[in-house]
Amino acid sequence: MTHYDAIIVGAGAGGGVAAGVLASAGKRILMLERGPHSEFAQVPRDHLRSQRGSFYGHNAGPDIEGNPRTLEDGSIVLPHQRGYQNNAAMVGGGTRVFGAQAWRFMPQDFRMASIYGVPKGSSLADWPIDYEELEPWYERVEWEIGVSGTESAMTHLPPYRRPYPMPSLPPNTSMRTHLKGLEKLGWQSLPMPQFINSVDYNGRQACIRCQQCVGFACPVEAKNGTHNTTIAAALRSGNCELKPGVMVERIDCDDGGRVRGVNWIDDAGERDSATAEIVIVSAGAVESARLLFNSATKREPNGLGNQSDQVGRHLQGHYYPLAIGLFPERMMDNLGPGGGVATCQFNHDNPDVIGGGMLADDFIVLPIISWKIYVPRDIKRWGLPARQFMRDRYRCLGDIKGPVHEIPSPDGRVTLDSKVRDKFGIPVAHLSGTTHPETVRTASFIYDRAEEWLRASGAEKVWGYRPDLRLSGGQHQAGTCRMGEDPAESVVDPWQRVHGHDNLFVLDGSVHVTNGGFNPVLTIMATSWRAAEHIVEQW
Amino acid sequence: MFNALQLQTLHAAIDRIIPEDDFPGGVEAGVADYLLRQLGRDLAHLAQDYPRFCDALEAEAQAAHGQAFAALKDEQQDDMLTRVERGEVQADWPLDPAAFFAEFIEHCAEGFYSDPGNGGNRDGVAWRMIGYEVKG
Ligand SMILES: Cc1cc2nc3c(=O)[nH]c(=O)nc-3n(C[C@H](O)[C@H](O)[C@H](O)COP(=O)(O)OP(=O)(O)OC[C@H]3O[C@@H](n4cnc5c(N)ncnc54)[C@H](O)[C@@H]3O)c2cc1C
Ligand code: SF4
Repeated sequence: MTHYDAIIVGAGAGGGVAAGVLASAGKRILMLERGPHSEFAQVPRDHLRSQRGSFYGHNAGPDIEGNPRTLEDGSIVLPHQRGYQNNAAMVGGGTRVFGAQAWRFMPQDFRMASIYGVPKGSSLADWPIDYEELEPWYERVEWEIGVSGTESAMTHLPPYRRPYPMPSLPPNTSMRTHLKGLEKLGWQSLPMPQFINSVDYNGRQACIRCQQCVGFACPVEAKNGTHNTTIAAALRSGNCELKPGVMVERIDCDDGGRVRGVNWIDDAGERDSATAEIVIVSAGAVESARLLFNSATKREPNGLGNQSDQVGRHLQGHYYPLAIGLFPERMMDNLGPGGGVATCQFNHDNPDVIGGGMLADDFIVLPIISWKIYVPRDIKRWGLPARQFMRDRYRCLGDIKGPVHEIPSPDGRVTLDSKVRDKFGIPVAHLSGTTHPETVRTASFIYDRAEEWLRASGAEKVWGYRPDLRLSGGQHQAGTCRMGEDPAESVVDPWQRVHGHDNLFVLDGSVHVTNGGFNPVLTIMATSWRAAEHIVEQW
Repeated sequence: MFNALQLQTLHAAIDRIIPEDDFPGGVEAGVADYLLRQLGRDLAHLAQDYPRFCDALEAEAQAAHGQAFAALKDEQQDDMLTRVERGEVQADWPLDPAAFFAEFIEHCAEGFYSDPGNGGNRDGVAWRMIGYEVKG
């Protein structure tokens, strides 16, 4: 059996960063990913099966066959169905097909309990680390992975120590219209920071502004995920062996709590295993929790790191209020990625609600998604009216939406369903509970601001979707292996080492105590970078 | 899967869901091709219901007008589809008319507005119509 310095489970955002850091420090790594290692051409630009519009499946996994989960009502749910909380399964994880928004959380986001108090029944808590601690790592990720942005516009944050490595992309028509709306309202406005090359960077070319960005792979690799940055560098170094198409079944741990290695099953059903000095779990918030449960030992019968019944709890994502506006003029000029102007006016200091969220215009909306979600419900859905609405007004639709900082609940959780198994025979994740109801009030407040912005931008008609109470997770899933000092209330310590295990770490969205009012991936990469460097320093 | 009469009814119905104007209608744009392809994969569970739906539309046309659905005038077809949409049918339907019709509309739109790789939206005609361009 081969012995490695480190085994990383999951080649997504957190795992990809870990691979880059460890490989460049000369550590010999085995990286295991259940999904494929796909070229651009192998990630179909299929408008019915994309990570953006998964009506019949996904272009970036997991397969709809053989990967079920179960819900509270006892039903089995497939990856493309409501309630599954899918992200992606592919080398690069979510970053292979993401929207590339590169947000830092705000200093307040790390201190939610101190600022707002803890609503009854919620598990709102402060992070054990603060913005200042994470700031150098944000900067590191912005430079190493590659972010375009305008630091002087980020007035909701402390001043940047180092500018973004690339300027923002020039605005398109929709951005210019929405900027006017913000000016009229006197709200803060900023170009959205993006993991997108606005100019040639790191040996890859600038964005060609295509129309299929979010939910798809980039035709010119101008969109910066881990697959074309840290993982590519790790592979080039010769220190990283990547095995795609293998599902890690179990982490192997001795009676003293020392982890020996992992066992996996490949797509042909063959089992194999390897040992390592350390194991890093980076499978995403739902699957990381599932793997810890499935690795139970005599000493920890409820799962590794789960002595305090914290693994899998506090599952969070983002409520996403969406307001749509019909404009007299064309908003859509086919200049991708589409979205790009944002405001952080309402992330905090809102009357009567806890937290808040960033608002922004959205990416180019695919025609079939526009049909299914955006066309006003008072337009007849067949015959000439439906068709002519699309013909004449598809390009006049605009939207404002944003991720609302969720108030976590310990009951919104992942557990194990030992009765239902996936195609490998491994017990699947069971999802139950909801986010704390306070989230609904915040989301409703944010939704009203989205409508207000659209009207100020000149929309003649405004409607949309105000979120209801539900369990959240999905593409922004986080929170299931909370970071904290106290083993009674968390799963990993502030360096992301699993309590009670010297050589087991979690580096992904699971460790987020709260998930900010922002898309989470820059924070996932920053915490992972910090933790991985610490692992190297302590070796 | 479909006999000739059923196919004729299906085509006629598709062209009322997505009628032509200065751009081609649903059938010419490939919506029927999309649907037939999907009935062999993601919509395989409807492979029996779709021919039944066509039979029911046909029976409805015969009951109301004593004519084939496809032979009716556009306005007559529209009136009939409106009744189906509301569930106000005269013939014996083996499936819920309103619910099936609602699904049918979505399938037609998928065949029209999604990418040509799915078998419909021939040469990107629907995208040209609405002004969605794909470069790169
Ligand atoms: C369409 C889309 C758009 C998005 N847009 C944005 C955006 O604009 N900005 C932003 O901040 N975020 C965005 N996100 C979210 C972002 O991608 C995620 O937050 C991020 O990828 C999560 O990182 P992670 O390391 O926690 O997990 P992931 O990136 O999900 O990585 C986990 C990996 O582990 C693998 N895995 C799981 N279990 C196992 C196992 N047992 N064995 C082997 N491998 C396993 C999975 O297949 C996966 O590849 C988007 C996501 C999607 C899908
Ligand atoms: S808009 Fe297109 S070219 Fe630009 S980064 Fe996104 S996918 Fe790549």
